Amino acid sequence: MAKELFFIIVSSIFVNNFVFSRFLGNCPFLGVSNKTETAIGMGMATTFVLTMTAVAAYFIQNYILVPFGLESFLQIISFILVIASLVQLVEMIILKVSPALYNAFGIFLPLITTNCIVLAVALLIPMSDYNLIESIALGLGAGLGFTLALALMSGIREELEFADVPEALRGPAIVFITAGLLSMIFLGFTGLVPL
Amino acid sequence: MNQYVRMIVVLMIISIASGAVLALSYEATNPKIQEQARQTLEQSVLNVIPGATKMEVVEKQDMTIYVGIDDQGNKKGISFKATGSGFNGPIEIMVGYNPREGKLTGIQILSMSETPGLGAKIKEEAFTKQFTQKPVEDEFTVKEDVEAISGATISSTAVADAIKASLDKIVKIYPVGGDF
Amino acid sequence: MQLFKDFINGLWNENPIFRMVIGICSALAVTTSANNGIAMGMALTFVLTCSSIFISLLRHIIPDKVRIPCYIIVVATFTTVVDLFMKAYFPSLYEVMGIFIPLIVVNCIVLARAEAFASKVGPVRAAADALGMGLGYTWAITLISMIRELMGAGTLFGYQVMSDSFTPWVIGILPPGAFIVMGILVGLINMITRKKVKDTHCQ
Repeated sequence: MAKELFFIIVSSIFVNNFVFSRFLGNCPFLGVSNKTETAIGMGMATTFVLTMTAVAAYFIQNYILVPFGLESFLQIISFILVIASLVQLVEMIILKVSPALYNAFGIFLPLITTNCIVLAVALLIPMSDYNLIESIALGLGAGLGFTLALALMSGIREELEFADVPEALRGPAIVFITAGLLSMIFLGFTGLVPL
Repeated sequence: MNQYVRMIVVLMIISIASGAVLALSYEATNPKIQEQARQTLEQSVLNVIPGATKMEVVEKQDMTIYVGIDDQGNKKGISFKATGSGFNGPIEIMVGYNPREGKLTGIQILSMSETPGLGAKIKEEAFTKQFTQKPVEDEFTVKEDVEAISGATISSTAVADAIKASLDKIVKIYPVGGDF
Repeated sequence: MQLFKDFINGLWNENPIFRMVIGICSALAVTTSANNGIAMGMALTFVLTCSSIFISLLRHIIPDKVRIPCYIIVVATFTTVVDLFMKAYFPSLYEVMGIFIPLIVVNCIVLARAEAFASKVGPVRAAADALGMGLGYTWAITLISMIRELMGAGTLFGYQVMSDSFTPWVIGILPPGAFIVMGILVGLINMITRKKVKDTHCQ
């Protein structure tokens, strides 16, 4: 069991990194990878929401959708609504409990609803028949993988500002090419763990 | 207060309408979806059992077995799904087996996510045809009695191991030389 | 005239993929062959057009405070409809697209157009804009997928076009190829229009 969990986490961070090999969460990946500090804040906030979503998706799928036979046509709509409310809830709780924490990553929370990683993790859980613990591991691994991708990219982008990039490639173009090179590095992890 | 009531009413109406649309489209598409899934399955069963034109599903000791039957009603062989872990993710294989002869009748890769151009070649006939007429007592060891795809030893091994592992279970239910 | 302008806008000036750089997750993920590119484009265009028309029709009814949940419900409904129909009638395409059809719900293009355009204008203009955006997305990802398919498999729409002596650059259909092709295309389009894409409009 522990071995399986380890495999799920390692595989979602390195082997099938959600950004570099599954192409999920590219919008925030491009949008907030300017500075390392904000990148890590966004990564942490996303990881937190992802772990919560994994739990919520598991319970909704197995205790509401499947028993009532609704899983094939109400799945998308119920997952996205729960994610949207969850994000709102997390935002309110953090604001009440710790204003300092809210200042650190509260501003990222509204952006997370439309991050496709969150809905993707929710949808992957029923698809892979994961149990509760495995679902949490997938959520956590996906979040950590996303954070790693953001942190790596923002580090490179901070240096890129001083580089002599050809005029036409400035802006998102060079970020895509850099992401391509990073993704090539992540290809090296394939086969690391049995999937 | 009035605006809150309006908010709730509008949200409720939209949700109800959406639920109705979804339920209707589900009703409209569900038979077709079921039919498609059954057809794909049947096609793969008929592919791995030569001569079969119909399939019959049998549940035996937690295994789902698909029996291939020809036009005259003769049983031509059985098939089952085998899964293994490849280089990039799970590999699902349909395996055909003829217990009377003790040989495989063919395999087909149902799903896999191996590297295109390398591991993905396990789908090609050049690789899969070596399993046709292979005696089930064989070792299924890559580079000995199973030819590996060059540059994709892990994917090739995954297929061979997956077939061998589920064959071990199947042979206990349907021993070589026995009827089925 | 106004309608034509709305329609043309998405095709080039505000092309969602190359100029706005939004909704790129699916544009990178499913573009391993030209057929997939077209199919994904059609699916998105359908969802975008239907939800834009509906949101535009409902724009005076939906209270401002709950507009985002309302938009999400409308978009999710149409996405599920596409999901079910693809599963029923194009199972092999559905298999390749996998999770990216349901993910149209969170595709920035759809919500961004709902918020920025459809909720402010009448249904006809909203439809023209949505069709333009959808077709702009479709040609962009079809171009990406044609380049990737040609590089990675030597085929176009499944037909062999390269000679047998051509060794496919497998990297083209692997994930890094998607990022690099996308980067180079955005750069090329910057060069043609001599106007730099500011930054992604969606976060």
